[in-house]
Amino acid sequence: MSGDTHILELSGLKKSFGALSIIQGVDLQVARGSRHAIIGPNGAGKSTLFNLISGAFPPTAGGIALNGRSIAGLAPAQINRLGLSRSFQITNVFAKQTVLDNVLIGVMARHGVRFNLWQFTSNMKELRNEAIALLADVRLDHRAETLASDLAYSELRALEIGMTLATGPEIILLDEPTAGMSREETSYIVGLIRRLTEGKTLLMVEHDMGVVFDLCDEVSVLVYGKVLMTGAPAEVRANREVQAAYLGEEAI
Amino acid sequence: MRLSTIFITLSLIASIAVPPFLDLGLQFTLITALTAALFATAFNLLAGQAGMLSFGHAAFFGLGAFGVLHLMQVVERGFGVPTVLLPAFGGLVGLLTGFAFGYFATRRSGAYFSLITLALAELLHVAAPRWTSLFGGEAGISSMRMPSLGVTFGATIEVYYLTLAWFLISVGALYYLSRTPFGLLILSLRDSEERVRFMGYDAERSKVLVFAISAMFTGIAGGLAAMAIETANFSIFAMHTSAQAVLYTFVGGTAVFMGPAVGAIVFTLFAYWVSNATAAWLFYQGLIFVLVILFAPQGLGGILQTHYRARHQLDWSRLASPYVLYALGMAITAFGVVFVVHSIEILFSSSYRLAAEVEGGLPAYEMFGRAWGPLAPLTWGGPIFALVVGIALMRRSRRNIALVWADTREERVEARNLDVEEKRT
Repeated sequence: MSGDTHILELSGLKKSFGALSIIQGVDLQVARGSRHAIIGPNGAGKSTLFNLISGAFPPTAGGIALNGRSIAGLAPAQINRLGLSRSFQITNVFAKQTVLDNVLIGVMARHGVRFNLWQFTSNMKELRNEAIALLADVRLDHRAETLASDLAYSELRALEIGMTLATGPEIILLDEPTAGMSREETSYIVGLIRRLTEGKTLLMVEHDMGVVFDLCDEVSVLVYGKVLMTGAPAEVRANREVQAAYLGEEAI
Repeated sequence: MRLSTIFITLSLIASIAVPPFLDLGLQFTLITALTAALFATAFNLLAGQAGMLSFGHAAFFGLGAFGVLHLMQVVERGFGVPTVLLPAFGGLVGLLTGFAFGYFATRRSGAYFSLITLALAELLHVAAPRWTSLFGGEAGISSMRMPSLGVTFGATIEVYYLTLAWFLISVGALYYLSRTPFGLLILSLRDSEERVRFMGYDAERSKVLVFAISAMFTGIAGGLAAMAIETANFSIFAMHTSAQAVLYTFVGGTAVFMGPAVGAIVFTLFAYWVSNATAAWLFYQGLIFVLVILFAPQGLGGILQTHYRARHQLDWSRLASPYVLYALGMAITAFGVVFVVHSIEILFSSSYRLAAEVEGGLPAYEMFGRAWGPLAPLTWGGPIFALVVGIALMRRSRRNIALVWADTREERVEARNLDVEEKRT
């Protein structure tokens, strides 16, 4: 069964908005346990692809299978419960709540504590400890009681990753996790991602080629809503078509 | 003992022990204040905590009121429901209609959500006078409180204690809710509904549930209000009722749990005292609302909370004199405003017009125990001078206050950085 080797499979995936066709038949397999990057020029449809996979809107045609099960057209919440979690390119946290609560809500979702109206969250020791452990993983435990709106930018990006992990996904989708970061911040976040995706599958959109070639086992190049090629970073780097379409001179 | 515990205990004792010694008018005003406070707290669950600004909560307040009045009529005919339990029926009506209205309203967010709630309440406002069987036509419906469990429920003070008990139970329940996982989910919905969705929560159903819970407690408040005055008509559904909840909540402060209740109580007492003195009290109420939104958007509760949180860092001795000056400036400005408004109120009254016709020209008018000529320089120069002095005082002390607060913030940041460094090493 293909669901065993490939955790995520896209087949003939299409999405158009009115007359505008953004995704024009994407076939893509993400191997279980791999770190897979999607690269491509601006407007290639990378974000749309993420939105389709995570359920922000349904595809016009084609299939999306998670663990061999079709998830095309399901709601974001259902897809998340099946083990796929995503981050956002533009930081999307609960600004007026503490860093701990930002993660705690994800941990609660993982344990199915969704509509609990009779227990105090402050008494849920196990869930809180789990959330604190997760904060320690993204090195934010010393900021647990700070309001998310008071965090520095790189801390916010770390929180963004922590929240994505909080619901206990098998596969995580990171949308430009290093966008807008300095060199040091980028290498810091890359280190976090490498450590935290151990034993999970990672699918990421990334503009920084250094990050992609450093972190990922497989790279797919998306151009005008189609996958131009998929392969190991070295293969992709060597491909003339890719160079012409996207990488340009500086990456060679 | 914590300061908040002391405060709550003291207010509890006062709310139980003091009212029997007050006159009937004030007792009745306190009942109104408590129902308004519950109304505002229930409204804030939706507006402040969940971030959904309803402009139509009059619907649930009114439906709760009519529901309870209908049940009271049935009780009058001998159906045995203890009087103390009647408000629960208002809650049930609120809950059920809340689910129905919420189902439609929560499909949109932002201004569209507000407009849908407004439209639904207006629908009731228009339909009620024509729907005689349910809402009693233009006259509305009335009933009488029946004695039960050895209490007559004839005296105002008995109704006060009933209202107080329901207020405490309801607000207690709402506070409890805010501390549960669902309470956390509600706050998250406000900050980012999208993120909530992508973290595995059914945002749509959650929003309908919050809406219904808010409507339920609003229904209880409406039921209590109806029991106090034993009547209601279609005008309860008017925009005015919804606007009151908005006003109380934002003046009291949405970010503090008890803020809206404080706002409601302060405004109800304000209306009681000021409406006796002047017909312009609604103007003053509106003016206070505008000023709070402009200069203290966190509301009264927010101001208190900010001070309470920073109480150890604040240099109170440095703060004392600018605060006193600021209060003085505020009092002088208020005097100027009241002087002008009250003068205008008198000059445009029918009695003054009559006096002008009789005496010819513009006769002097009586205010604050002396006569003022409408064209005398002091009549207008005085209040203008007061406004200039008052505003200047406020601006000046505001700057000094801001300086003290800036130092406090810096201290806090330094303390936090130290703390972080200690943890790292």
